[in-house]
Amino acid sequence: MALAEQQGYAKLTDVTSVISHQLKTPLAGMKSSLEVLLAGDLGEISKEQKEYIQLTLGNVNKMILLVKDLLDVSRIDEDRFVLKPEKSNVVELVKDAIGELSTFAQAKNTEIVLDAEPDIPPLTIDAIKIKQVIDNILYNAIRYNKGKGRIEITLKNNDGTVLLSCKDNGVGISEEDKKMIFNKYYRSPRVISLAPDGTGLGLYISKAIIEKSGGTIWFESLEGKGTIFYFTLPAH
Amino acid sequence: MDTPHRILLIEDDKFLLKLYSDKLAREGYSVSMAITGEEGLGKVKQEKPDLVLLDVILPQKNGFDILREMKADETVKHIPVVLLTNLGQESDIKTGMDLGAADYLVKTDFSITKLPEIVNRHIKEAHGA
Repeated sequence: MALAEQQGYAKLTDVTSVISHQLKTPLAGMKSSLEVLLAGDLGEISKEQKEYIQLTLGNVNKMILLVKDLLDVSRIDEDRFVLKPEKSNVVELVKDAIGELSTFAQAKNTEIVLDAEPDIPPLTIDAIKIKQVIDNILYNAIRYNKGKGRIEITLKNNDGTVLLSCKDNGVGISEEDKKMIFNKYYRSPRVISLAPDGTGLGLYISKAIIEKSGGTIWFESLEGKGTIFYFTLPAH
Repeated sequence: MDTPHRILLIEDDKFLLKLYSDKLAREGYSVSMAITGEEGLGKVKQEKPDLVLLDVILPQKNGFDILREMKADETVKHIPVVLLTNLGQESDIKTGMDLGAADYLVKTDFSITKLPEIVNRHIKEAHGA
């Protein structure tokens, strides 16, 4: 394409990729700039100024996450998606995800319970990417609850495979949506009314990550009752 | 710090260059800057800073070329290099660390408020100062 060629992006074959790459550096600058202001490095800021800077920084961070997702998608689509497996503790990844999302869960009146078998072995996985999958599944479980939510996460060691399940008592997934939710950019009209924010990329990327890691991802759901997401990861 | 530690910042984006250099200067570091690879390598050899903050994609000579040339030069090979990388260049991180970088920072992921601490840690590790 003309723009890509002009700018020397010979290997990048789609607009998503070019735009994402162009956004990275200005976003990094905006984030750092706001952090400097927020830290009071350039002088004391008022309570109201602080609030505005925090709101802007929150939006910049959202844009950074979006760019990350778009970059992942372009790499998946161009078959350039590479994982960097290292020995990692998956139980700790789940605990980190629960900790980081605890404020959001409280705001949504949702309780999260973790039940991990004691003999979960260290796994050779790309910890950052697997954490991204856990974050995505847990975030969805919190976001799509019906008020007074309960989420149960279990980790089991099944003969050479670690199985994670995440059960919620949320809105569930309709029969029609069940065929679509791993599709790129798909968002059900029903969930858009519940949570307008979202790109429809999370589960598409999660599926690619789990499959590339040698595992499987799937779900069971009853509309109006809740959903259980599962994924497996090989223990060897 | 009695004598300020000297940092060489090699980064071609002028916005980031200003943000990082101002931050380090406010924390008492002496900061020198370069915006191209050639200029950066020249300053590494001439100034022999205590630490180099090095962008990967640079005009003229990229960050890996600079790192490779530094590690082959007895007079500067001991200087710790912290790479400044972009999102989506995760595969570059391994290349950089294999070439002997002390650390890497993903520009959109790290917090600039931690920059002085990171720089200080690597200077202490490398120079015992």
